[in-house]
Amino acid sequence: MLGRTGYPALPHGSEWATVAPLPEPSMQQYLVIQLARFGDIVQTRRLVLTLARRGAVHLCVDRSLASLARLVHPEVVVHEVVAHGAGEGGGATMLAVNARVFETLRQSGFDEVYNLNHSGLNLVMSALFPSAVVRGHRLVDGQPVRDRWVRMAFRWTTWRRLAPLNLVDFWASLAAAPVPPGEVNPVAVRGGGGIGVVLAGRASRRSLPPDVLAACLRAVFEGMGGARVVLFGSQAERPLARQFMRMLPGNVVERTEDLVGRTDWTGLVDALRGLDTVLTPDTGTMHLAARFGVPVQAFFLSSAWCHETGPYGLGHKVWQAECECLPCLETAPCTIGVRCLDAFRDTAFLRLLAGRPGDMFPRGMMGMVSTLDAVGATWLTVFGEDVHAPRRVALRELVGEYLGLFPGEGLTDVSLAELLYAEQDWMLPPPGQVMPC
Amino acid sequence: MNETTGETAHKGPAAEKAATAGPLRVLVVQPMYGGSLPIGRYCADALRDLGHTVETFEAPAFHGAFNALKGLRVTADRLEHLETGFLQVVSQAILAKVETFEPDLVLCLAQAPMSRQALRRLRRDGVATAMWFVEDFRVFTYWRAFAPFYDFFAVIQREPLLDELAAIGVENAIYLPLAALPAFHRPMELSPVERHRYGADVAFLGAGYPNRRVAFRRLTHLDFRIWGTEWDGDAVLARHVQMNGGRVSPEDAVKIYNATRINLNLHSSVQAQTLVTGGDFVNPRTFELASIGAFQLVDRRGLMDELFTDDELATFGDMDELVALIERFLADPDERAAFAARGQARVLRDHTYQQRMTTLLDFIAARRPGWPPRRQDAGFPADMPEGLRAELGGLLQRLGLPHDAAFGDVIARLRQQTGELDALETSLLFLDEWRKQYAAKG
Repeated sequence: MLGRTGYPALPHGSEWATVAPLPEPSMQQYLVIQLARFGDIVQTRRLVLTLARRGAVHLCVDRSLASLARLVHPEVVVHEVVAHGAGEGGGATMLAVNARVFETLRQSGFDEVYNLNHSGLNLVMSALFPSAVVRGHRLVDGQPVRDRWVRMAFRWTTWRRLAPLNLVDFWASLAAAPVPPGEVNPVAVRGGGGIGVVLAGRASRRSLPPDVLAACLRAVFEGMGGARVVLFGSQAERPLARQFMRMLPGNVVERTEDLVGRTDWTGLVDALRGLDTVLTPDTGTMHLAARFGVPVQAFFLSSAWCHETGPYGLGHKVWQAECECLPCLETAPCTIGVRCLDAFRDTAFLRLLAGRPGDMFPRGMMGMVSTLDAVGATWLTVFGEDVHAPRRVALRELVGEYLGLFPGEGLTDVSLAELLYAEQDWMLPPPGQVMPC
Repeated sequence: MNETTGETAHKGPAAEKAATAGPLRVLVVQPMYGGSLPIGRYCADALRDLGHTVETFEAPAFHGAFNALKGLRVTADRLEHLETGFLQVVSQAILAKVETFEPDLVLCLAQAPMSRQALRRLRRDGVATAMWFVEDFRVFTYWRAFAPFYDFFAVIQREPLLDELAAIGVENAIYLPLAALPAFHRPMELSPVERHRYGADVAFLGAGYPNRRVAFRRLTHLDFRIWGTEWDGDAVLARHVQMNGGRVSPEDAVKIYNATRINLNLHSSVQAQTLVTGGDFVNPRTFELASIGAFQLVDRRGLMDELFTDDELATFGDMDELVALIERFLADPDERAAFAARGQARVLRDHTYQQRMTTLLDFIAARRPGWPPRRQDAGFPADMPEGLRAELGGLLQRLGLPHDAAFGDVIARLRQQTGELDALETSLLFLDEWRKQYAAKG
């Protein structure tokens, strides 16, 4: 049986077999299959860096994101498949393009394949390789199987308020001994280039409406003494950009450059670099800014939860809405009028953004500052009450102990151990393995 | 045995019998797979040897059903639900066994398929449960999720584990090091063919953990054999790996140990930066090799000093020392034999599974008032003919029971028999059934 790294696994259910190097590390070949979106490609960074230290890394992405992948991960070989949107030629194009790429991948003889996404596309691709070398999601003789680490994460996502790990760190921990968290992204520092504003994210409820966002921008603009402003977004957000601009006072409009729908990926990265701050909801552009050391001020509300997908690295802030119902489900309708948005309208919040905090902190919100620990990225609460923090920290320590990062001490909440570990984890062999009959 | 510290005192053979009054009924629950399996079998044998009535729940018998789930080709979510259901069935089977066998103690080995729900039920029903956790608590971190559900928790490490267990409410934890089963781990006369097949100057038997894979590269110039699984993918060591890296049965392991001049015993590690880690617990191989009277070179461990003296085990602290010791001891068979003899004597005196089980049972008796509960025993008929009594005496001897064994214990032992019964055995079981059918109705 094979373990987490494709080398022989250990008995007693352990998955942490980092076998000593066999040939020279540069001869090792790794494939990462990342067929999700813009932000997910950026959040694969820690895993890519980890594998790049040991050998050659190949990254398989959707064709539309290939140039982004090359920008974000310059050290990898990018393979493009048609996964989202067949484009011209429809299914025939998809078949033709993908068959060639799949043959190339199949012939490459990867030592390990990291299959990161829970999708039928990913599962099918995993069948190109011996199941024993695939980590994450794979097919074993036609049976979809999730690795034990993935199963554990699925469990803790049923308790999102206790989310112990950033997605970046979760994916990285599919490999043994990930690179230190501090080596993933540069420390974010102001570049003197002004304020970036990202208009809207994937789900509208996670984004600030244009009037609220405009008020936030005005506050930051005043606080920075009239800095340059750059707007970011996709072609689809161009109408929103026009609407947004109409809500800004003249002095802000004069200093605003509208790049919404006007840049390619290279242009986007160039425009982000050197900014002083980026105001954004939970978006791929947010992760890109963090990737290149641009300070982020992110607005997290509705289904966005900074402990899961906050910007990675030092030097970022998140204004995390706090209501009993958060984080919610994107697909579930909100029956309380998106109450979590109210905090972002609060004048106390706008004074904070302007650098003129008053006596009161905004209600219904936590001010979070990014930090790093042995496990990865986490958040310090500067204001607001994070009532679930003690249990989240304890769960994170259990995860750290499981990952072998440090010995657990004084972890007395047995209910958290019961949340993290299911009986299969110690009673049955690792997923995908059969027992000798 | 010191109940507070769990220290095993140096007791002689007379103390091998349990201090608990009368034979106990013990259900040993095996794991589905893994390194604890042979340990569980040794525990069961030791308990029988001590005169207890033992049933074993052989979880590996359920492998086929589990493996069948793997071939279903359903969604991952559905597979995981099915695995949960499967484990529930296995746990229910254990509870059914408890209901029928009515054990005084349910002893589980690490990874045993005893669900938390089942443990809660046993606690509620007043059935004593114990686990012997024979794993490294730092690597096998799941203990946090199930330790509090056991009444008694035996471990092979001391602090900080004992403190951590206390912190999560495990009040009855005991340090219980591993051991050997002398009847199985014994010296053997091997034929020339067996010596040729199993022997070598230097050998290691065990799994290909990362530290071992790196460490053993320094030994490839020797007549060196590697036995066991998970050594594949290593071009340097490949020619030393025997049986294509296949599993070695415990029976063959004993032959290998007997046939090898120097048995290497390097404790495993999941990392390869430090090859000799100087960890705390002492692995079962240490005791087994010593019991066999085989010579071993074993890496020094934190808890070794209280188990063996310097002249009972030849130890090393790093790879340079190991290489030097191999050279020294290959050239001196007399010294090898002397070490092996001293180590064997120590194991036979202090480190048998019989002693460990005695220690565990004494600990439970001391910590659990009224344990074991007195059984109502219908007893043997008072007016049994003399000839039948003599026959019964012979039967008790055959079953390994004391002359004053309770009727119920004899019946429980008879029910473990397979195959045809003789007339006396049948008569006794018939009497038991008759009593259940008629005497219970008053």
